[in-house]
Amino acid sequence: MRDIVRFFDKFTFALLLLLALAGILLIYSAGHSTQETNHLKQAAWLAVSLAGFLAVFSMKLDFIFRKSFSVYVLLLVILALQLVVGHTVARTKSWFRLWGIGFQFSEFVKVPLALFLARLLARHKEIDGWAFMKVLAVILAPVALIVLQPDMGVSFILCSFIPLVILLKKVRPALLVIAFLLFALGGFAAWHSLLKPYQKERIVSFLNPAQYKDSTGYHIIQSRIAIGSGGLSGKGYRKGSQSRYQFLPARHTDFIISVVGEELGFVAIGTLFFVFFLVFYRQLRFNFENDEEFYYVYLFNGLIFFQFLVNVAMAIGFFPVLGVSLPFVSYGGSSLLSFFIGEAIIFRVKISNYLA
Amino acid sequence: MYLSKRKLTPEFVKKAAVASTVFLAVAFSVLFIAFWSIQIVNNDKYKQLAIRNIMRTVELPAPRGLVVDRSGAVIAENKINFTLYLVRENVVDMEKTLARASFFSGKPVGQVRTLIDKYRQHAQFYRIPLKKNLPQGTVIFIQSRQDEFPEFEIGMEPSRTCPQAELASHVLGHLSEVSEEELAEQPSGSYRMGDAVGRSGVEKQYEPFLKGAKGSLTVIKNSVEQVQEISGEIKPQIGDTVVLTIDLRLQKYIEELMEGQSGAVGVVDLETGGILAQVSRPAFDPEVFAKEMERQEWLAISNDPRKPLQDKFLQGIYSPGSVFKIVMALAGLQESVITPETTVHCSGSQVFYDRVFHCWNPGGHGTMDLFSALENSCNIYFYNLGRKLDIDTIARYARLLGLGELSGIDLPNESSGLVPSSAWKLGTFNQRWFPGETISVAIGHGSLNVTPAQLLKLIATVALRGRMPRLHVLQRIERQGRTVREFAPEFTRVPIARENFERVVEGLFRVVNGEGTGRAARVEELDICGKTGTSQIIAKENPQYKRLTQEKRFMPHSWFVSFAPRNAPRLAVVVLIENGGDAGAIAAPMAGRIYRNYFSK
Repeated sequence: MRDIVRFFDKFTFALLLLLALAGILLIYSAGHSTQETNHLKQAAWLAVSLAGFLAVFSMKLDFIFRKSFSVYVLLLVILALQLVVGHTVARTKSWFRLWGIGFQFSEFVKVPLALFLARLLARHKEIDGWAFMKVLAVILAPVALIVLQPDMGVSFILCSFIPLVILLKKVRPALLVIAFLLFALGGFAAWHSLLKPYQKERIVSFLNPAQYKDSTGYHIIQSRIAIGSGGLSGKGYRKGSQSRYQFLPARHTDFIISVVGEELGFVAIGTLFFVFFLVFYRQLRFNFENDEEFYYVYLFNGLIFFQFLVNVAMAIGFFPVLGVSLPFVSYGGSSLLSFFIGEAIIFRVKISNYLA
Repeated sequence: MYLSKRKLTPEFVKKAAVASTVFLAVAFSVLFIAFWSIQIVNNDKYKQLAIRNIMRTVELPAPRGLVVDRSGAVIAENKINFTLYLVRENVVDMEKTLARASFFSGKPVGQVRTLIDKYRQHAQFYRIPLKKNLPQGTVIFIQSRQDEFPEFEIGMEPSRTCPQAELASHVLGHLSEVSEEELAEQPSGSYRMGDAVGRSGVEKQYEPFLKGAKGSLTVIKNSVEQVQEISGEIKPQIGDTVVLTIDLRLQKYIEELMEGQSGAVGVVDLETGGILAQVSRPAFDPEVFAKEMERQEWLAISNDPRKPLQDKFLQGIYSPGSVFKIVMALAGLQESVITPETTVHCSGSQVFYDRVFHCWNPGGHGTMDLFSALENSCNIYFYNLGRKLDIDTIARYARLLGLGELSGIDLPNESSGLVPSSAWKLGTFNQRWFPGETISVAIGHGSLNVTPAQLLKLIATVALRGRMPRLHVLQRIERQGRTVREFAPEFTRVPIARENFERVVEGLFRVVNGEGTGRAARVEELDICGKTGTSQIIAKENPQYKRLTQEKRFMPHSWFVSFAPRNAPRLAVVVLIENGGDAGAIAAPMAGRIYRNYFSK
């Protein structure tokens, strides 16, 4: 136990806690003009997340990896069920009410999927056609269910596993071509059958924001105005006019980085980037011994980074508005809990290297 | 250990660590640069955009200054007027909005569209005035359903109203909307589209004082246009009060006298040169201009042959007729070509330069000296005087006495009339002056043209024995009770001997109080001096004269200029009745009534 405390990466944990606490303050600022209490809910969720962190951290890694397939399947069942009985929030059936608390189960897919993929990759030294099909199937099964809800943000983020796998393993170019063709076909099919009009509009508006000034492009423009008007040191906490007078959309969720930019300025943006950079750096660079563990750490860090990148790029109009939140910071309990559980496993891996 | 038995090679771990670090460093650098560009490089641009999001400034129109008479009676004031505005920013469906706008304003859709199109250069949140003087019912209808019509706004603005309707309408003048051309010429921003500007009379002359200073209200609003707070307010300042020399009671009396007539009357206070009454008939109601006029209404006013829009006092030009004999007498005396004792025999007609010239009295007046010639308005006397004086001398005296040039009254759009001279004729027609023409000019005909205002100034100068007053309608301008400008009476000395004025005054006294042409103006216990004039439309030499002058429109205009009392004069009056016929019968008694009314108060 003493050793656990000694070798636990307290610095990185403090950084994650700092992000979550900053998130609560930002959620308060984003909602105070409309008297919202999201910051209190987020604080409660942070407590739950820390408890979740502790629970998973105390589990044996062996157990965690072995159970990943069962959890993965269980989540697929829940997601399928959700399509039938889920609550519709903002045209999306991604919410599941349990004991009066809203759960967004799609968020919980991230960790078990990363674990299961890590196992799969460990089993196949070379990714041949069959293995690649398996990897794609494992990723696209939950993605398909989540697209149907539809939750574009989470499904898009889960797809980041595909390039991550390709970067890691030497996949034969012929397979990539086939995969690309399949994707093109799938994308074409999705555009004509699966995608809702508002989602198409979002994609079109990204490609041509000026034309969609009054709908989705408007959000990008307002977000850029918020960030740009913040300048070096910002307008002051809770004093951002874009946020306060409700020009900024989804201030407490997808566009929370715009609140940072407007109210606290470039200094805070730079600090935030530096904190994220430190987290990724420290969570990736340590002495791995086991490939399965490495694959998991690589995939999960990659997922967080990808989500971070998409969210930030979206806020300045470099990426379409897909409904992707800023990890650890944005409002959203399921997301916070899921990330802390995922991190708990990384922390556990780091400890195991010392305690072996 | 517990999972896969394969261990990773240290080389692989190292390679992965380096690759991931490089990748992270590159990605974060790109983000850092992107945010730097937006937040630091383009900070000013986005700051402006953020302010434009929340700040809205609405102009608060200033009520126009009051116009009052010398005793403070109101000639023009303001009332609250409801205006329908369209804000394009809040339009959902333009076609629907156009249909509604057409319904509310009563204008056809096409007209509304054209109107809105004029504002294409303005920002989307600019309030486009669609209709002024919105009926109360429409105001209530729109306000009670504001959430259904977010694109419409009702504004309350002051607008001009004249409680006395047509009273003193020409002096006051009228307003109309500033035109696009004027706005383009004057980019200083003092006027906005839809603003009213003085177009004539006092409204035009004292526009800079009357228009006041606009205010503004700056509010901070949120993304759904709800006002969050007021960040700045500049209260509009009402325009200055313009106090006129007009005596509204006398003005009203004269306007009633002139009812049904066409013509002009002017009354001046000889102590100051201030106009007490200035009437031009027929008149118009200045409020019809404040309203959006129907086309027919406009045509009716502008095409009326009696010219209701023309201020005949200042703009009407007529032959002075026998009134000009005053100028002739003064010129003759001053030039010493006649003395009061000089006599001329009138037999009804006389030949000059191989042409027969008639006196108005075909039977002849007999022997006339200066006084009796003025009293009887004998043409033969003045034909002879005209022959003794050349046209350029006559023109010089006419100009000295204020004819042929603007009277200098503080009102716009004045006519200057015409005093012919040999140089004028050479310049205009490239012909030399014929002495025969001088004979016509001597009795106020020929090319000679004057305005009633000029004759009022002339008779005032005679009354004051050569002290020529500057006519004016402004007494003072008040701003918040303080006088900011006051009209100081101005007099200039005419270089004609005072005794010559006294002689002419004697003649004018006899016109009214002797057996003269103006005896119908006589008022008991008031020494009125005056001169009649008949301004021919058809030359008397015209063989059809008798037949044509049966028709009203060919009847001569009637003049009567006068002042009273003879010594220490206080009032001068000019009366012009268009197509009035015999001046002694119509213009003179009207002047008499004016004196009686004024001095009996």
